Amino acid sequence: MAGAAAAAERRAIRVLLVEDEEIHRVLARALLRAGGGVVLDEAGNGAEAVRRVREGGAGAYDLILTDRQMPVMDGHEATRQIRALGVTTPIVGLSSDCLAADVDAFIKAGADDFTPKPLSKEKLNRILAKFNLA
Amino acid sequence: MDYSNLWRQIFSMKKSLFDQGYLDEQYNQLEELQDDSSPNFVEEVVALFFKDSSRLLTNIEQALEKYPQDFYRLDSLVHQFKGSGSSIGALRMKNECSMFKAHCNDRNLEGCRRSLQKMKREHATLKQKLETYFQLLRQVGPRERAVNSRK
Repeated sequence: MAGAAAAAERRAIRVLLVEDEEIHRVLARALLRAGGGVVLDEAGNGAEAVRRVREGGAGAYDLILTDRQMPVMDGHEATRQIRALGVTTPIVGLSSDCLAADVDAFIKAGADDFTPKPLSKEKLNRILAKFNLA
Repeated sequence: MDYSNLWRQIFSMKKSLFDQGYLDEQYNQLEELQDDSSPNFVEEVVALFFKDSSRLLTNIEQALEKYPQDFYRLDSLVHQFKGSGSSIGALRMKNECSMFKAHCNDRNLEGCRRSLQKMKREHATLKQKLETYFQLLRQVGPRERAVNSRK
């Protein structure tokens, strides 16, 4: 029983990273790998992210990190569509700019938080702690 | 091999890159992610940046020469460049990208052209400096790098 409880405690966090730029994916992979206990899924644009969430179901991911500017579908629209599916997974918007308009647009679309790029150990730890995923 | 002199050069070069504003704290983040399982992580990420950014600079230059100018597309390209540069801590380039985006917002074509020239110069300088820096690091090898990287 103690072993099962420990195993449940150690369940990996499932993160969906929605990002079209390879360099940002490489950095996020390394950060999440360094932290440990994360299973990372990646989508190259918002439309792919919505598809993965729809196919995986409401509990598919513990956290979604999404870039703003992407081809096919941007992060704001992806967030709107994911929320329209009834999915309440924490969504954090990412962008190189920290313009109030961008942050507001993410929050209005249904995101729970925003963090400016580039991702760092500190920013990631803050996000994980905020959503009780640390 | 006497590594102490080599390390002095490496530390001096890295300090100079920070002191002169070429790099910011994000670069240290990359170094912290380098370990035995990915011993060349920093160099690989930097190489990825220069591959992406060279393509973006070409695209930006072409977009600037089109008429009428599409400032929305220009802003989008510079935004990508800025994000990519900030991933490796390329501070001067990040700042110049912000200037460029401001010129796009003002639809200031001459301002955009000046910014592009500055970005190209900064890009070439940073590439040359980092290539020299990595050449020195390669001389010490991964084991020595792992021992000394936190100093």
